[in-house]
Parts: sequence; structure tokens; C-alpha cells
Amino acid sequence: MKRRHISTILAIAVSFALFFWLAIPFAMAVMWSMVDPGHPWSYPDILPPKLSFERWRVVWETTSLPTAMLNSYTLAPVAGICTLLLAAPTAYAFGREEFRGKAIAQVVILIPLVLPGFVTAVFFASLLLSLGIFEKYPAVLLGHIVLYMPYAVRILSVSFSQVQDDVVNAARDLGASPFEVFRAAYFPVLKPGIFAAFLIVFVLSIEEFAIAFIVGVPDFTTIPTILFSYLGFEFVRTNAAVVALILVVPNVILMLVLERLLQSANPASVSGKG
Amino acid sequence: MGLEIENVGVRFGSFEALRSVNLTVDDGAFVTLLGPSGCGKTTLLNVIAGFLKPTSGTVRMDGMDISDTRPEARDTAMCFQSYALFPHLSVRENVAFGPRQKKVPKNEIVQRVSKLLDQMGLDIHAEKLPNALSGGQQQRVALARALAVAPGIVLFDEPLSNLDAKLRDQVRTEIRALQREVGFTAVYVTHDQAEALAMSDEVFLLNKGVVEQSGAPREIYFRPRTSFVADFIGAANLHVGKIKDGAMATPFGPLGVRGADALNKTVCWRPEVVRLGGDLQGAVTASAFQGGHLDLFVSAGDQTVRLQVPGSHEFDVGDEVSFGLDPENVVVLADEGHVDA
Repeated sequence: MKRRHISTILAIAVSFALFFWLAIPFAMAVMWSMVDPGHPWSYPDILPPKLSFERWRVVWETTSLPTAMLNSYTLAPVAGICTLLLAAPTAYAFGREEFRGKAIAQVVILIPLVLPGFVTAVFFASLLLSLGIFEKYPAVLLGHIVLYMPYAVRILSVSFSQVQDDVVNAARDLGASPFEVFRAAYFPVLKPGIFAAFLIVFVLSIEEFAIAFIVGVPDFTTIPTILFSYLGFEFVRTNAAVVALILVVPNVILMLVLERLLQSANPASVSGKG
Repeated sequence: MGLEIENVGVRFGSFEALRSVNLTVDDGAFVTLLGPSGCGKTTLLNVIAGFLKPTSGTVRMDGMDISDTRPEARDTAMCFQSYALFPHLSVRENVAFGPRQKKVPKNEIVQRVSKLLDQMGLDIHAEKLPNALSGGQQQRVALARALAVAPGIVLFDEPLSNLDAKLRDQVRTEIRALQREVGFTAVYVTHDQAEALAMSDEVFLLNKGVVEQSGAPREIYFRPRTSFVADFIGAANLHVGKIKDGAMATPFGPLGVRGADALNKTVCWRPEVVRLGGDLQGAVTASAFQGGHLDLFVSAGDQTVRLQVPGSHEFDVGDEVSFGLDPENVVVLADEGHVDA
């Protein structure tokens, strides 16, 4: 009974925290994005005096937002998938094999996380030039993959280590092909990790600024590069709010989809002992 | 399906898990690999299943060398100690997994699976996930899943060690009955000597990576070849000494032995082969009433032996007791051995 009490209190506290941290800024962004240019929203008004979609129209028509959306919305999922695929072998080795230098390798792989994004971006840009990669889209994609690989490796190696040898052996023993072994013994255990890693890479990639800006300059735009353009010397909060909302839409959709997928997933990790 | 293991050795770095193991299993036989932990019995099972490639030697099934055959192509099925069920698949799907991999026609899979589930009393749990079942039920699913591929050899890796004592006895009997009914060859790994004696046609006792002795349960029990075997299986009384003119001098008196004269020999006898009254004598140091029988610990000099006499007898600590042994029941061991008592 007491335990239930505590969890109820915790649940309420977390709901409040989420409300203040997420719902209020989100609501503010929505309102700021709909402030009518003719009726500015200023103190002491609690709500904007007049709402309109004028800002949305302006941003849409005066910036390269359509191209930027195309870039960002495709960059994020492609970066997610590529990062997962490239991280999988390393994660497998970390999670399932023993080799000399493993502990060091696990630390070394985290180094990109320690470097500030701008530092990486500046030198990454010059590296790309000397490699002769001038195409902006693959260059930025490559940058994102390098930058977010550590997250994927980290998450997936934990998932790989949770796969039980016995279950893998059981599948092989019953005549399963490598693909079927993966489907029966690996995938159910890896699934939450795959989703989590994909979500993280997706969200980080869609809001990434340093590489997209430095490598992509001047002609390659993503949603964050437009967003930052409103946040510099010419600070335009209303337009920034519009872009920020556009930025967040795919994240929310992806969260909801993954949530649904994970819920329908069957219990994957099991002790096996009863 | 018959199985032959020839000079199989497995080495992990500098550690020899198996040193030249030889064994033959007849078609339809139920054999156990018995031994203390670390003796290599599970390693040997993994070699038979194909999960582990032996460093040396050959594995043959029905005369065919399968040493290089991958596990998925071998005609074996394993029952794991951890059950290793697929947690995201229902009981029915778990059992159907094997035949599906082996491309058995669909309607036959359905029939085979239903029949096995009925046989195991799992039909009412067919749509449940393994997590929802008890340990004994999960064990049955694991067995049904292994049998569903109609394997020539079923490998059991200590399948009962996660069950409580009562259930263990029950499942043990079920496994043996099923094996007789279906007729598969079984290789069963256990560290429990009672399990091995109760279930097997033949016991292979492993110690430090070699087969120390093999034979029918009775033979292993009553005719141990080495002091390790005598000690590991059941309770044994060991004496070390000189055999002369068919007797060995012990603190209890002269022990009749059927064996040639020798200087340093170990002899062994089981507590239950003793009879009360005879030319051996000692003082009772402890007695434990077990219902049907009475365990007596009898000392003389610096040695203690264990006797098992009918429960109708009564002894107090300190009583003198005389007992005798048929020389037929005293086994001369091959090694020099040791006496712990």
C-alpha cells in the first residue's frame, strides 16, 4: 500500500515536471508562431492579442524552408539507418566477443562525444575538402554518422550482450539459417536498443547545427541553419518559433510510432529460469 | 541413431577441458555423462551438438564423420539447462520452430506440434508465452521443442537442475518413459549421481576431462574401478593396505578380499553390503535412523566406516558392533587411492 502511495506521488511529480518543461515551452512556441505581425505581443498581455498564420506564410515564402525541410527530414532517417548499420558490427564485438584491448576500444569510441561539435565540424570540413568530397548532402550525412556513431555503438552493445548464448544455440540446433537465428534469437532482444539508438540519432541529426552549417555553407540549408539565422543579430522570435515547431514535428511523430511499436513488442528479455 | 566419440580433445588456451575422450552410444540407448563440475561433461555435450569444435578427434553419427558439420545440419536436438525458449514466441510457435526451419510441410507441422503438446500436457498452455509458465512447464516446452524435429539424438544439459526435488523426480520419470516410447537416443548430462543411476542404460563417469569409468549403473555402483568412482557415486568405505593370502589387515580386523597378493592396494565396499555379526569389529560413533534403514558410523583405530543395517536394529553411541562382509562384495580398486576418513 505504502509503495503504491509513493509511486502515485512520483507519477504526479513527474507529470508536473513534464508539463513545465515540455508543455509550457511548446505552447509558448505555438503562440509566438501565430502572433499577427500587425499586433505585436508585448507586456502586459498574457496571450497574443491576435492570432494568424501570417508568420508561417512569410517564413515559408521568404526562406528556403521547403528545401531545408526536405534536407532535414531525409537526412535524419538516413543518418539513423546508416549509423545503426555501421555501428552494429562494432557493437556485436563489444557485446559478444572477448578480445585484447576491448576496454580501451570502448573508451576510444566515445571520443567524438567529448569534442565540441564546432571543433569537429571545422576540421571535418577541411578533411572533406582534401578527400575531394564536395557534394554537400553526403558530406553532412557522413558528418552526422561519425558524430552519432558512439551513441549507437554504446546502446547496441548493451543490447547485444543481453542476447543469451543458449537461445542462439537453440535456434541453430533446431536448424535455423543465420537469418532465422537473427530473427528468433537476436532481433527480439535488440529491438528496444535499435529503436532507442535510431531515435537518438534521428533527433540529434535533425537539430544538428554545427556540421550542417560549417560543412554545408553557403548553399546547403537544413531547418536548424534557418532557425539559427533568426537567432543571431537579427533576432526574430516569431519566425524562430515557426521554424522550431517545424523542427519538432517529425520527432513527435517518430516518438509516437516507436512507442506503439515497443508496446506491441513481446517481452524480449527473459531469465529462462522459473 | 548411434554415436561414436573418438579421441576427442578440447583445449581452451592452456586449459584442457577434454583429454582424449572415447565413447560409444548404441542406437536407442539412454546414456548419462556424469561428473563433478568442471569435469568436461557439458563441453562434451557441446561438441556433440556442434556448438564447439573439438581440438582433436572425431565425432561420428551412424558411422558418418560429422566433426565438421555445423549444428544446424546435425541430427541432434538439445534441451538446455536454461530452457532457452524463444521468449517472444508462444508455446506452440516455440515447438513449431524446429520443423519450420527444416521445411516440414505445413499441415504436418500442425499435426506434429499438437500431438507433442497433448503428450506433454501443454495443450491448454499452447498460446501462452514461456514467461507465463512455471519452471516444470517450461522444461516440458523445451523438451517438446527438441522432439519436434524428430532428432536422432536428444542432448540433455542438466535439464532438471532448476526444478524442485519433487518435480525433478516426476519429470525424470516422464523423460525416461518418453524416451522409451519415442525411441530416440539420449545423451544426458548431470552431476547428480542418483539421477544418473536411476535413468541410464549406461553411465560415463568423467573426471578431469577423461572418461574415468563407463558401464551399467549397477556395475558403476558395485564395481568401481578407481577410488574417484567409488567416492563420487554413493557412499563408499575405502581401506588402503597390503593384500596377503586373500585378506587385508584393517583396524576392524582382517578383511576378506578376492585378489592377488599386493603391497599397496585400495579396496572398497558399499555400506549396504554389510551383515551384522562377523569377524570385523568397531565402536559406534554415530547412528542415524532413516526409516527403512539405519546408518551407523563405526570406528576402530583411526578409521571410520559407514554401515547400513535394517531399521529394526538399535544401537547407541559407544556400543561395540561386529559385522562381516562377503569377499565377493569387496572391490579391489585399480589405483592406489586415498582414504579420507
